[in-house]
Amino acid sequence: MTVLAVRQDGPGTTTVPGPRRRLLGLVIALVVLVVLLVLSVMIGSTSIPPSVVWDALVHSSTGIDQVAVQDYRLPRTIVGLVVGVALGLSGALIQALTRNPLADPGILGVHAGASFAVTVAVGLLGVSDVQGYMWFAFAGALVVTLMVLALGSTRQGSSPVVMVLAGVCVGAVLGGAREALQLTDPDAFDAMRSWNAGSIGGRPLEVVWPILPFLAVALVLAFVVAGPLNAMALGDELAVSHGVSLARTRVLAIIALTLLAGGATAIAGPIAFVGLMVPHVARWIAGPHQRWIFAYSVLLAPGLLLVSDILGRVVLRPGEIPVGVVTAFVGAPVLIALVRRKKASGL
Amino acid sequence: MSSDVDFGRPMLVLRRRRIAVRLERRSVVVCAVLVLALAGLAVLALMTGSYSLGPGEVLSALTGRETGLMHDIVVEWRLPRVTAALVFGAALGVSGAVFQSMLRNPLADPGIIGFSQGAYTGALIVILVVNGSYGQLAGGALLGGMVTALAVYVLAYRRGVQGFRLIVVGIGVSAMLGSLNTWLILKADLDQAMAAATWGAGSLNGTSWDQVIIGGICVLVLLPAAGMLSRPMRQMELGDDAAAALGVRVPAARLGLVVVGVALTATVTAAAGPIAFISLVAPQIARRLARTAGITLAPAALVGALLCLAADYIAQHVAPTPLPVGIVTVVLGGGYLGWLLFTEARRRL
Amino acid sequence: MTRTPLIAAFLGAALVLTACGGDGGDDTAEAAAPTTRSVTADNGTVQVPAAPQRVATIGNTTQPYIDLGGKPVAVTQVVESTLTKLPADQQATYKAATNVGDQEIDLEKLAGLKPDLILVQIDDAGFKAIEKQLTSIAPTVSWSLDTEWKEFADAISEAGNTSAALSQQKTQFAEKVAKIKETYGAVIKDTTFVDIARAEWSDPGTFYIADIGCSEIARDDIGLNLPEAAAGQDPLAYANLPYEQLTSLSKYDVITYPVTAAGQPTVPFAEVANLNTWKALPAVTSGRALGVFCPGNNSYGPVLQYLDSLDKALATLPAKE
Repeated sequence: MTVLAVRQDGPGTTTVPGPRRRLLGLVIALVVLVVLLVLSVMIGSTSIPPSVVWDALVHSSTGIDQVAVQDYRLPRTIVGLVVGVALGLSGALIQALTRNPLADPGILGVHAGASFAVTVAVGLLGVSDVQGYMWFAFAGALVVTLMVLALGSTRQGSSPVVMVLAGVCVGAVLGGAREALQLTDPDAFDAMRSWNAGSIGGRPLEVVWPILPFLAVALVLAFVVAGPLNAMALGDELAVSHGVSLARTRVLAIIALTLLAGGATAIAGPIAFVGLMVPHVARWIAGPHQRWIFAYSVLLAPGLLLVSDILGRVVLRPGEIPVGVVTAFVGAPVLIALVRRKKASGL
Repeated sequence: MSSDVDFGRPMLVLRRRRIAVRLERRSVVVCAVLVLALAGLAVLALMTGSYSLGPGEVLSALTGRETGLMHDIVVEWRLPRVTAALVFGAALGVSGAVFQSMLRNPLADPGIIGFSQGAYTGALIVILVVNGSYGQLAGGALLGGMVTALAVYVLAYRRGVQGFRLIVVGIGVSAMLGSLNTWLILKADLDQAMAAATWGAGSLNGTSWDQVIIGGICVLVLLPAAGMLSRPMRQMELGDDAAAALGVRVPAARLGLVVVGVALTATVTAAAGPIAFISLVAPQIARRLARTAGITLAPAALVGALLCLAADYIAQHVAPTPLPVGIVTVVLGGGYLGWLLFTEARRRL
Repeated sequence: MTRTPLIAAFLGAALVLTACGGDGGDDTAEAAAPTTRSVTADNGTVQVPAAPQRVATIGNTTQPYIDLGGKPVAVTQVVESTLTKLPADQQATYKAATNVGDQEIDLEKLAGLKPDLILVQIDDAGFKAIEKQLTSIAPTVSWSLDTEWKEFADAISEAGNTSAALSQQKTQFAEKVAKIKETYGAVIKDTTFVDIARAEWSDPGTFYIADIGCSEIARDDIGLNLPEAAAGQDPLAYANLPYEQLTSLSKYDVITYPVTAAGQPTVPFAEVANLNTWKALPAVTSGRALGVFCPGNNSYGPVLQYLDSLDKALATLPAKE
């Protein structure tokens, strides 16, 4: 498959780094992620000395600070890691699938779909546990993904602008519908309001475990379809001539995407822009090989999410800013910078 | 465009002095029907309410032959609300038509270039920082929306403004402001949060003549401006190069269109809060009713007015509890998207 | 679409038959005619009937007015969670009144009920938008949302003419406060308290220090040593504190937290109560975390219920070693 990894940016771009450099980059990304994981446990709204944090991690001690680390910072970091991986990979997948550099599950309304479905489940149907509402998150993500893909393709093939607009529109409609639902029964939906903010703090690990197997399946699927997606980047006909089944690739990619975006939303609420930015950075480092882009996204996205979350913890001490608010603030300028670059519309 | 082009459709040509207006007969008929429908719905809206009135009573109240509560209800409460729905709906319809034509996309609307979120930010800042009156709130919304739209325009500017870049920059800026707004509301106290929520829902409840007159004057100034730009607008639908070849000064015309489009939405938003999706849906319905190739302003204005009035009627009288009109128009947006999906699917089968 | 006028005409005819006639609507002035008093509120001095018979309550005035024994003819929506905390007779009074809206007030429905007095407490901007219309229906008295609750009760009682009920409630309140002070004075004197809560709208993973609401009464009337925001600063309750800030509560002797009438932690707070960090707090391990029921702090009835609950909670306080 590496034969197919031809540069598509056209002449004038930098040369694609060799496998050794890519591997080295991956190792560096892994080290950075580990450092950030440590920082995320160390830094918080209260100042707990590193020795106490270390103590909390290795012993099961009963001091209040140690308990707070085990009870709050550690789960928060794990949630950040899991959600980050899901967000990054879902972004990389949707960009590869739609051949749209501006695709992001947040911008394309996929999170809004999952979020709306969960609101309905919790507010109208009285579902209260994760095992119940995660199915709604998956269903909502799937429906919106299909809708946006359908709306975004014209007879000439898919158009990035139309797809982005379709996503924004779907997101706006679902957001409005959610608001209307909340007005009809403020009591039932009050509990949903904070969930809509997009945050990784205070989400108990019990929310993560039921979703983890689905994310694992999606991770495997994503790497299975990476090769065929690579081929499809060069055009459907060429891909078919290389023995790629278009329908099978698309279906698998959509399933993986749905599980990742729906799962991330079910755990943390809607968090936009991580899925947009990370695959771009991955592409700059790794060149146009989907498998490498996916690998980098898996390592870089949780890092970005944790950095944003740490920022959100320290700027307003002792209060905090939900991470979804921070990522939009960091991510939107990146989007604008991207579109101001010359080749942005081309991928 | 030379005058002897065959449009392939029946035309009405009105010649008066040296101005020739070329009107498609179908457009004229559609507009006439829309005006009738508007008049009918307006009368119905004036009659309906907890105080049910007959057409005769409405008429005598309108002509000043009633006093007391009956006069208040018809002339001071229902009429400004109906007028507001008509004027603001028309403004939204035209604003959407301008944006969809300029960006050559049926999914574009002023919200795209960050206007709605910017207006909300402006309103929130007025509520949170200066605890301002309703007038200041409207001013803040206006300023916020305009500044945002301007910022988006400038950020998207790179040797001219390309529609694609404008859309994407708009989405980015909207997202940033959206998250800022979420955070501002989380930090607001009860009174502020309630005021923000009331405004943010987009409502015509309690519309007074003051609001209608100020808003109406703005709209009446802006609509002819939009009319003047409609010719270059139609020509730019053929592409910037083609329009330039026809003598259109494309950058100037585009800036003019952005300003008029944003100002129309700004007026409505300042007076009534964000009323979503009318600007998105009205031009498309109008285009299909009139069967024109591109976007036309007059039918879009009339359809916008009709949609807004109908949505407000549903919000007041059909919904189980009176709702802000902005909530009802969301359903419009949903229906429109569903319809687009349906037609897309059918076209590909 | 051209059929619309026809339908309109038909509907209009049907409505004329059922309409209760609109023979001029100036009876409000007549009802107010015999004797009026002037009441001063946040919207200025208003002439109100000496003994209003048909009172409409908009926004937060509904519950306090009913609490004072008033029977409004028109009310706006009270959320279910607040409603269920009211005594049964007050719930019945609320249900007997006509609901004139929630998000939007149906002004015509309100006018149709011919109120002779309208009591309003909503956000300022919302009131300004409908002030003129309300005033044209009946004398309208409005208070801003930040009115102190005792002043609010006084003002509603004055406007709504329910002073007998008010003075009875005030006596009960004074007695209750005196009793708590007397019984627990020694304990209260050298104990530090903190009241924390978590609401439905709190950010995920956060709680707040409740220095406004019921605990304000505990601080100002009973004299509990509770934290308070510095003058000119936002109340502490505005800051959403992440759960790890629970560790900072170690310095307080007693922690109070919100419970339901049945004594269980409220649904949003249950999340905090389940945390190991909470369970590790000194006040919690030593039995000095007290659940207190706060049904509302906007009128004497709920406040008295709160004081009862506080009374019972303080009684369980183990002696400080």
